Amino acid sequence: MLAYLVFFACIVLILGVLTLALNLQWGFTGLFNAGVVGFYAIGAYTHAIVTAAPQPQYVGNLGLPWPVGVLAAMAATALAGWLIGLVTIRLRGDYLAIATFGVAVSIQLVALNWEPLTGGPQGLTRISRPLAQLFETPFGFNLWFLGLMIAIMATIYWALDRVLMSPWGRVLKAIREDETAAVALGKSARRFRLEAFVLGSTLMGLAGALYVSFIGFVSPYDFLPIVTFQIWAMLIVGGSGNNRGALLGALVVWAIWAGSGVLVTKLVPPSHAAQGAAIQVILIGLLLMLVLLFRPRGLIGEAAVVSRHVND
Amino acid sequence: MQALADGILTGAVVALGAIGVTFTLGIMRFANFAHSELLTWGAYFALVVVAFAGPGAPTGPLSFGWQLVAAALVAAVLTGLAAWAVDALVFRRLRRRGAHPLTMVFAAFGAALVMRHLVVLVWGHESRYYTRELQMATEVLPGVRVLPDQIFIVGLALAAMIGLHVFLTRSRTGMAMRAMAESPALAQVCGIEVEGVVRLTWIISGALAAFAGVFIGLTPQIHPEIGFNVLLSLFAAAILGGTGSLPGAVVGGFLVGLAENLSLLVISPGYKGAMPFLLLLLILIVRPQGIFGERS
Amino acid sequence: MERRRRNTVVLALALMGGVLSAGTAAAQSCPVKIGGVLPLTGSMAPITKKIAQSAELAIEHVNQGGGIKGCPVQFILRDDQGQPTVGVDAAKYLVEVERVPAFTGTISSGVTGPIISSVTAPSKVVQITCCSTASPFTLDGRSGGYFFRTIPTSKTQAFATASETARRGMKKTVVIYINTDFGTDMLRFYKAAVAKLGGEVIAEVPYNDNQPSYRAEVTKALAAKPESLLLIGFPKDGVTIVREWLSLGGTKTIALNNSMRTMDFVNGVGAKFIEDVFGMDNAQVAGPHVDAFNTAFEEKFKTDTKGPGVHTQYDALMVMALAMNIAKDLTGPSIKDSVRRVHVSNGTPVGTGPAEYKKALELIKAGKPIKYFGATGPIEFDANGDVTGPALVWKVKDGQIVTDRIITIEEMQALFKRVEN
Repeated sequence: MLAYLVFFACIVLILGVLTLALNLQWGFTGLFNAGVVGFYAIGAYTHAIVTAAPQPQYVGNLGLPWPVGVLAAMAATALAGWLIGLVTIRLRGDYLAIATFGVAVSIQLVALNWEPLTGGPQGLTRISRPLAQLFETPFGFNLWFLGLMIAIMATIYWALDRVLMSPWGRVLKAIREDETAAVALGKSARRFRLEAFVLGSTLMGLAGALYVSFIGFVSPYDFLPIVTFQIWAMLIVGGSGNNRGALLGALVVWAIWAGSGVLVTKLVPPSHAAQGAAIQVILIGLLLMLVLLFRPRGLIGEAAVVSRHVND
Repeated sequence: MQALADGILTGAVVALGAIGVTFTLGIMRFANFAHSELLTWGAYFALVVVAFAGPGAPTGPLSFGWQLVAAALVAAVLTGLAAWAVDALVFRRLRRRGAHPLTMVFAAFGAALVMRHLVVLVWGHESRYYTRELQMATEVLPGVRVLPDQIFIVGLALAAMIGLHVFLTRSRTGMAMRAMAESPALAQVCGIEVEGVVRLTWIISGALAAFAGVFIGLTPQIHPEIGFNVLLSLFAAAILGGTGSLPGAVVGGFLVGLAENLSLLVISPGYKGAMPFLLLLLILIVRPQGIFGERS
Repeated sequence: MERRRRNTVVLALALMGGVLSAGTAAAQSCPVKIGGVLPLTGSMAPITKKIAQSAELAIEHVNQGGGIKGCPVQFILRDDQGQPTVGVDAAKYLVEVERVPAFTGTISSGVTGPIISSVTAPSKVVQITCCSTASPFTLDGRSGGYFFRTIPTSKTQAFATASETARRGMKKTVVIYINTDFGTDMLRFYKAAVAKLGGEVIAEVPYNDNQPSYRAEVTKALAAKPESLLLIGFPKDGVTIVREWLSLGGTKTIALNNSMRTMDFVNGVGAKFIEDVFGMDNAQVAGPHVDAFNTAFEEKFKTDTKGPGVHTQYDALMVMALAMNIAKDLTGPSIKDSVRRVHVSNGTPVGTGPAEYKKALELIKAGKPIKYFGATGPIEFDANGDVTGPALVWKVKDGQIVTDRIITIEEMQALFKRVEN
């Protein structure tokens, strides 16, 4: 049981990084990025291509060490975020969503089709996992990975907090709350949005690298649009504009997904497994709707945006 | 040339579905991801009717008889009502609480999951068919082959769209709908009964979706994912045409259909799924509000 | 009762509990759980239904025949929804929480892959799949020997297809294939075989599944002016493609892969339209063991056994159960080493069904070797965990799927030699 919970926690934390990144882009900057999974994919594949053991049929598979893979993933996603942001940020709200969505779909299709680099549908394997050789049992490795994830998560959380309190962060909030005023004060809204977008994308790339380091395998099927929906659901259910909400949402939504599966196996006999599976999905849908019906602002709602200096 | 014909056929179906999407986007201002499930429900409702009455013997060049058309009409009514019911149960409650549009989007996502898997629960995943007949395409122009069924579908789709356009521009309720799409607050000030317009919007969207669903089901099979598979094309079409605009949705639908089919002349079909979005991106770069959209 | 007495009673009960559990530690804890991960929802779902039924039948036979190590078997089946993270979570849950000593799954290689690398190999748990044909999983050693499959890889089917298309003199073939690892694997091996056996591929058109129409892909294929078509995919989209192909004037010289061998496909297209069409499949070596399975399945589920994975899933679970009985304990390494002992050359033949299973258990108890003949035939795993088997050619006649001819194991082996030299 403990071993499973450790594994579960690792996944939740990886998804949590994605949710935090999305929160930066949406909650704090107001950018509707519906292509989360695209950046996740870029990070994941870059890490895989850089660190996987060399194979003759693949152009990549450089076999470099883990930290190099992670940094490369972040760099690649930052670049992608910058390019995509340049094109899409000036689009209005839902249009930005559809554009980023399309970009993510295209990225997945590239991964699926560009075999010499990405392995095509077969995916890539033998991806380096941090210090895997030190651990005899999967439990040992997973526990160490969990520790690593907690450290990374804490760093990200703390860093985001600092960034958002910094002058840069305050301008961002100002732009979100009242763009005209902020622009009147001489701040380039577009530049700040782009920076926030790039920063968010970089974190998503990091999450991708962490994911493949954990699983050890990557394929285009890891990056279908459903993942974007799941991350968004996590943010909305937890409460956007709010980093704690993001993490809580990641936990709750993933728990719903996994837990509904367990529940169905306990209640439905295997002979009706197909209907049981349909019921599982119905349960997930119902729970999502119910949470939102009762807490439309998310479980932890939006944190107050009034400055804490207001009473000074 | 064949690709052009194919594009028009795909486009007609996408256009029908996109109309409902653009209305909800324009009038109720939220992206209803459950809309595509209305297509699926429409197809299955018609299937139920056909199960009783039969699809009808092939009439003329078509593979089905008037019974299928009747079934489609029944399905349209049922789906319209279903759409309204889903709104009443879920979306209206959220609207009343002033929920953020994104909350509505995810409630819709949840609703879509439920709707799709209710179909699975009742009918299972296997594919179903209205009729077992297989049509042979006739060559209407040199190098262009189409099925008579498909011409019928395009014709019917265009008729529906023209009918709707007339309704929107000539009737009072139609104009009320367009007013609401422009500005709900102003519309209310003018005395337009918001809830009535909303109800009508859902019913019309649902009915059109049902037609689209039946058409997909005809060419050539029905299964629980048919709506979901076109969801993104629908949204691409609606946005590319300009939200809230009926002509926009129609033009958008045809453009998306054409893009998907024509692009295969140059690129590998493996990338076909990305086409609606690349097209959308291109159009949005040039004209960010969509083709017929209003600059806000 | 007053506190001191209560504490004493609690302590006594605890001690008793400890003693009792220590006493039973050596005995097998019943029931024995076997896990399963399959795409019960998602795009593969239409073919999974029968596969899940086959699994259910296997478990029923195992329980009727005596279970595993004297315990009844409880089958826990989870849905992977076609999504890798969900599948991996389900597999991990089965292994760590339900503590299954072995499990079966899954179908899509996008899900099987991560399960192997993050659950099966590290936790050293035996995984036997009915249906995942991506060759790298067994060939590159990533599973540490814990991954087996009761279905031949695409190489077998592709080579057999090439030999048949060559035999029929099919020329100017266009290949429409599903753009997944399965499709690309098949295409690659098919082309390699065609190069040695005869025939020519003049165009290759991939398609992504789950689309409402494939007119565009069919049009592109027809533009190459082909004289024959090889379609590699799954029934749901296969039906759409074949119908659109035929109605747009495509030739009736069509070859299909194994997944199309189901009445869903035949009825979907319309039997009368595909009378000249043929397809390939992995064959079941004929014999009473295959018939016994077919009869049992048809009786229980009132439907035929045609369809991908139906026979191989039954065998996957039977092999698992037999191996678990042969193994000295229910740990991963022991079971892994016992899997190949399910089919020993000097063993007593045992077949399918509860009575045969019971017979097998008696032989195992007496320390005698067995030779399992399953729903697909003799199940003999090679060094990589793969099986080979005969192939068959099927076609539609009078609205039914009938076997046209069989390519025996010997012919297959000769075929492999010809192509790979």
